Amino acid sequence: MSKLARTGKWPGILLASGILAVCLVLALALGPASLSVGRIWHLLLAGPVKGDLDNAIFWQIRMPRVLTAALVGAALAVAGVILQDLFLNPLTDPYVTGVSSGAALGATIGIVLHMTNLPWMTVLAIVGGLGTLLIVWMAARRRGRIDIFVLLLAGVTISYLASALVTVLMIKANQDMTAIIYWLMGSFSGRGWPDVRIALVTIPFMVLPLFFTREMDIMLQGEKRAMELGVEVERNKRMLLVTAGVLTALAVSVSGIIGFVGLVVPHIVRLLVGPGHRGLLPVSLLSGASLMVIADLLSRTVISPNEIPVGVVTTFVGAPLFVYLLRRGRRT
Amino acid sequence: MTTTRIGRLTAALLLIAVLAVAVVALSACGSGSGTAASSSPSAASAAGPITVTDDSGAQVTLDKPATHIVSLAPANTEIAYAIGAGSKMVAGTSYDDYPAEAKALPKIGDFANPNVEKIASYSPDLVLAAGGIQDSLRTKLESLGMTVYVVDPTTYDGAIATIENVGKLAGVESGATAVADKMTAAQQEVQAKVGDLPKATTFLEIYGKPLMTAGTGTFINDMIGIAGGDNIGAQAGKGFPNFSTEVLVKDDPQVYIADSGSMSKPGDIKTRAGFADLTAVKDGHVYVIEDSIIARPGPRLAEGLVALAGMIHPEAAAAQ
Repeated sequence: MSKLARTGKWPGILLASGILAVCLVLALALGPASLSVGRIWHLLLAGPVKGDLDNAIFWQIRMPRVLTAALVGAALAVAGVILQDLFLNPLTDPYVTGVSSGAALGATIGIVLHMTNLPWMTVLAIVGGLGTLLIVWMAARRRGRIDIFVLLLAGVTISYLASALVTVLMIKANQDMTAIIYWLMGSFSGRGWPDVRIALVTIPFMVLPLFFTREMDIMLQGEKRAMELGVEVERNKRMLLVTAGVLTALAVSVSGIIGFVGLVVPHIVRLLVGPGHRGLLPVSLLSGASLMVIADLLSRTVISPNEIPVGVVTTFVGAPLFVYLLRRGRRT
Repeated sequence: MTTTRIGRLTAALLLIAVLAVAVVALSACGSGSGTAASSSPSAASAAGPITVTDDSGAQVTLDKPATHIVSLAPANTEIAYAIGAGSKMVAGTSYDDYPAEAKALPKIGDFANPNVEKIASYSPDLVLAAGGIQDSLRTKLESLGMTVYVVDPTTYDGAIATIENVGKLAGVESGATAVADKMTAAQQEVQAKVGDLPKATTFLEIYGKPLMTAGTGTFINDMIGIAGGDNIGAQAGKGFPNFSTEVLVKDDPQVYIADSGSMSKPGDIKTRAGFADLTAVKDGHVYVIEDSIIARPGPRLAEGLVALAGMIHPEAAAAQ
């Protein structure tokens, strides 16, 4: 484990962990149903108990919602890092491979067929997302190689196609239009433990790339150079693409489409800890979780009992932060 | 790479445009207009021009009763048939499903996307439009010389008044009065049974994921009150706002009613996160109500009101 012994990333990881811990505590302590700190401490120690509404609010509503938000935020941020560096394109986000549009199409079909309950919505969203990735993949494969630029173009094209199909379904079944629009906007409202269980599946896929940070660093110098340096480029590309695809599909399947986190968190973290993946990946994971948890906290508390769509909040929180850091300049 | 960027930019702009339109449409849909429908006293005589005030507050005048009516909403179609103006209907929307003969009408598109050319092709002398999403349509139709009446009541009484107005415009006042009397009778019957009972806290689910409810300024909110309920959703503001699950559980409704449009089933509602300990769930007061009898401001609101009372105060409503 000589990799892990290298200095320079631990301060960042520890700081990001600390911030995430604070965000989680705040998100669990605050909510539209005000519970005192003492009450929350008591509820935390008591564990989930039946027959007590405060307990249900804390353990059945707030806790799974916060955990789902954290996992989705982390998954999108990790997928964002992987795809931006794979495509060597700063505008890339987890949605560019067509996975999210495919997942949206799957979910829309679920809504139109009135199969809105778990596990159907999730299954359809994941099938749609990964099915799209497969199509894009086949389009980009030439003589055993994946052409990254064809992949990007095919991804964008398939995204359009899937979005057009979603629009057609919306018009055909316009009694379900509200449901579809809300799903497309993304939300953590009403997410319970079954959603957490699905989101937990992202963990191995978030951990996996941590074992390939050296290869990812080298691939930043371009495929040719990486091959010269002995990196099995095609195998790594395949692994990273599938990982990012699965992360995006799982995230979208539980939360709907939430923008900005996957695009901007990797950039913010790169500005703070540099482009080396040993620091970039874990810090992005933790920061993505923090941003999403705080965004969801604001989304459910600011205009309670109403809620603001969480994607709006991620943008309002993230955009000023990003501009500030861009102005402050690069620190590598 | 430029093509890709332009493509993504276009996609983003399109998405923003679609969402913006949808958001505007939805919020407009929710807010409605505050003015209750009322008929002008001068409209009484059959000989002269007929003038009524529609639910958007606009004066609607016809020189003689309408003979060719186009409806732009299922509720409007139901009103026309119920008051005896079914034979004057020349076109409706693709979602018209009640009464059965309305399904055979030519279609001008659906509620959200009515086709203006199609509407004009029937040369109607009266167009029955809806509020909110169809607000911008009115100017367009009127500039083509059509007379538009907007059906968009915000209370049960407002729905009755609008039905009477449509009756005047279509020259079927006696039919409209009969429908109005039936609706008033249903209201009086419900009030007699539940009016003196303590209000039962009630949550009405319009959509489950995310949770949406009926707020103030909606005839659904008004009907929950008439049926002896205290609408928890009213605190969330006007129209059809989304609603915090935490606040719902904190407020612990005695009765939980899902609109069938939410596609929720009582069994699913009980298993939702944090719902198991709700009073409504423990007492078995979780219901699904047919969307078309509480969400369409037409004659069948009377059925909706009776059904709501049966869910909110089952014992009292069942008593003779």
